[in-house]
Amino acid sequence: MIPRIEAHGITKRFPGVIALRDVSFDLLPGEIHALCGENGAGKSTLIKLLSGLHPHGSFEGELLVDGKHAEFRGIRDATRAGVAVIHQELALVSELSVAENLFLGSEPRRGPRIDWTALREQARSLMARFGLDLDPDLPLRELGVGQRQLVEILRALGRDSRVLILDEPTAALSETEARLLHATLRDLRARGVACIYISHRLEEVLALADRITVLRDGETVATLAGDAATAPDLIRHMVGRELSELYPPPPASRPDDGIVLSVRNLTVAPDRSSAPKLHDLSFEVARGELVGIGGLMGAGRTELLSHLGGAWGLRVRGDVLVAGVPTAFRDPGEAVAAGVCLVTEDRRRLGIIPEESLGFNFSLSSLGAVSRFGIVDARAEATRNRTLFDRLRVRAPDLEARIAGLSGGNQQKVLLGRALLARPRLLLLDEPTRGIDVGARAEIYAILRSLAAEGCAIVMVSSELPELIGMSDRILMLHEGRLTAEFDRGEATQEDLLAAAMGHPGRKEAA
Amino acid sequence: MSPNPVRAASPTESARRRAVPVRDFSLVIALAVVWAFFAAMAPEFLGARNLSMLVIELSVTATLALGMLLVLLPGQIDLSAGSGVGLIGGIASVLVFHHQWPALAALAAGSVVGVLLWGAMGRLIIRERIPAFIITLGGLLVFKGLFWLVIRNATVPVAPGGSTNLYSALTTYYLPQLPALCLAGLAVLGLVLAKVRDRRERRRLGLTVEEGELSFLKLFTAAQGILLFVLLTCQFRGVPLPALLLAAVALGVHAITRHTVFGRHLYAVGGNEEAAFVAGVPVARVVTLAFACMGGIVALTGFLQTAYSGASTTTVGDLMELDAIAACVVGGTSLRGGRGSVLGVLFGALLMASLMNGMTLLAVSPELKFMVRGLVLALAVWMDVRLNRA
Repeated sequence: MIPRIEAHGITKRFPGVIALRDVSFDLLPGEIHALCGENGAGKSTLIKLLSGLHPHGSFEGELLVDGKHAEFRGIRDATRAGVAVIHQELALVSELSVAENLFLGSEPRRGPRIDWTALREQARSLMARFGLDLDPDLPLRELGVGQRQLVEILRALGRDSRVLILDEPTAALSETEARLLHATLRDLRARGVACIYISHRLEEVLALADRITVLRDGETVATLAGDAATAPDLIRHMVGRELSELYPPPPASRPDDGIVLSVRNLTVAPDRSSAPKLHDLSFEVARGELVGIGGLMGAGRTELLSHLGGAWGLRVRGDVLVAGVPTAFRDPGEAVAAGVCLVTEDRRRLGIIPEESLGFNFSLSSLGAVSRFGIVDARAEATRNRTLFDRLRVRAPDLEARIAGLSGGNQQKVLLGRALLARPRLLLLDEPTRGIDVGARAEIYAILRSLAAEGCAIVMVSSELPELIGMSDRILMLHEGRLTAEFDRGEATQEDLLAAAMGHPGRKEAA
Repeated sequence: MSPNPVRAASPTESARRRAVPVRDFSLVIALAVVWAFFAAMAPEFLGARNLSMLVIELSVTATLALGMLLVLLPGQIDLSAGSGVGLIGGIASVLVFHHQWPALAALAAGSVVGVLLWGAMGRLIIRERIPAFIITLGGLLVFKGLFWLVIRNATVPVAPGGSTNLYSALTTYYLPQLPALCLAGLAVLGLVLAKVRDRRERRRLGLTVEEGELSFLKLFTAAQGILLFVLLTCQFRGVPLPALLLAAVALGVHAITRHTVFGRHLYAVGGNEEAAFVAGVPVARVVTLAFACMGGIVALTGFLQTAYSGASTTTVGDLMELDAIAACVVGGTSLRGGRGSVLGVLFGALLMASLMNGMTLLAVSPELKFMVRGLVLALAVWMDVRLNRA
């Protein structure tokens, strides 16, 4: 059988990072082929390549469609070749009707106007063909997420798509909706439509997929037959590596303890009108302790950190005590003043002031310490920044270099430095090494270790299991806004963590 | 460790580095062209009397533009400034002329009103998240209405019956040659000392220090400029008081933007508001304070402009907000916030003031004046966009 889509020896480089290394992948007609891997393993990159988002020429290797060489210059070419991506964030217009959404951009026309009768007819027949029973005139906003997803799939099929790419399609779906989706996919498979299916939910993958390809660090690790694979197999392949020399050894002893952060029965909602995203969390962090927080995307890790740092959420219940004092920061400024500093995951959007210099970015949270009556003492500031610049080994010409011109790792060092200058007793780090090359990562790990040794309490969110295991004195796992497990150093294996992240508490229940 | 850790020389970076001098240079060229044109068409353009008037007009425009800089830096805008100039000047005029207040008290009262009104607008904008464009557009209309109400659509002189007071002296007092020369000497001395200190500091900290010759050349040019300015204005009556006030405002705004925590926060909020918020910058306070400063500067501009006209009339302040914005943008201030400097704004204001003054001198019709102002504004923004893209 000729594969619908074939990728040969694909290598995709980003500045400083190789996202895919000699990856090969094929998709047969009438097949559901699952892609598995940790965050950052290269799944998204592969999909972007197959759907034309990374155009021909921006990567090495060859794409074949139906056995013939293909060059996608953009999404349009991929669509024409029958490839459609169903995104995590649905690309539908909620104010338009079901019928309008189904034919968005390809409405049947009579002259310059839309032919509404034909639109309704075509919508009805398309839905009938795939057994979906909806009123074509219903505004989309009145549908649930699951039904919207089906509408989006139908839209793709209405354009004669023969390859569907589904990226975490069930992330936002209820159990019933997910089952309906799976039934639809099986039905499509019987009609010869090929699917690439990406999901963190391993049970789903095992139940649905004909073949499963596991990616790790941008390489294909294994391709397994769906009915022969087991969950432990998959996890082993996904995790795969040994802890390397990357992580500094844990300290022989911690400074005196003394609880820096104490969270009690914390429940937080995005705002007054939304349901809570964090439920009944309780934990403590001691002086000099580095606590790792793991979980899947959307588990509430970033929300937890942002809330602790005063940047997000409305507290519904519970207390947060910093050094024994109950706190409810209204903004990050108050948190910084209380010695709680947040370093966000999204460096570009929530971290750097791109047009400004390295020194400017260093000082932003701690100008008070080098100024009197609101006037900055340039000499004191520069002296202090220079010391930090050397200590963090930032690779840049000098303090006046523009920060946007630095590499990701060096920008991250600057943001860490910004927090350090504010003399935090509690440091909140969200994915501190995302998108950073290995060398800079090791340096950042060393900095974190020495900070902890000086008595700073650190809470670090990470998607990388080896990082969690290598760095944390204790690991807390979140699943859908709840703590599912807690592990001490050396207690957890990556398999345990992954199980806890997916909502199956490991050996040790959360206290 | 990584093969190419410092990417300071990436193409976009070097393009950016180049973009700034191109902009500065083009502004100087534009100024030279404008001056040459007007001097050729009307030789009295460069006469002492006209230059003295140009200096007063520049002072008014530039003062307002410096306030606008404080608002543009954190990514906001103020369209109500022109109406405010009329209103605050009008309030002071009415207090002096109809209520016989001492000029100083009237000016103080006007300033307080300005700071309060603008502070309130700033608060509305940042707390309620209503775009500054809309709030200040509303302010433009409301203040204009208030202004006409306050002066009852009449002409209200700044001083009763041909006498002089502090208010009218704002644009009629001239500093005589001797004290002006002394002041100029002090200014040059200050510049030299600041430069020497700056060079020493930078060397101590291991930063790049510009060539000694270049520093000297810059200082020499600045000193010559100041001296020439004093000698020229003294050929007429002396250094106009508004020029001294502008110098004070410029120094103040320069100090705020370069040497205070507030100034850093202005650039941070304009450069990346969300990141500034996460870093602990009190965004709401910064924006409110920026508008409050603007209020004070609007008041000062109002006094100057009204005094220059001799009385409050319904047209005082008309469209001045656009000249202020144009001066900022021409001088390299970004409308998206986070970029701009006092020196740039001063040059931008000089260009705008020269255009207006020259056109008045040539008795250009008001129709054409409007169109030229509009085209210059559009051209400046277009250049801003182009240079940002490059």
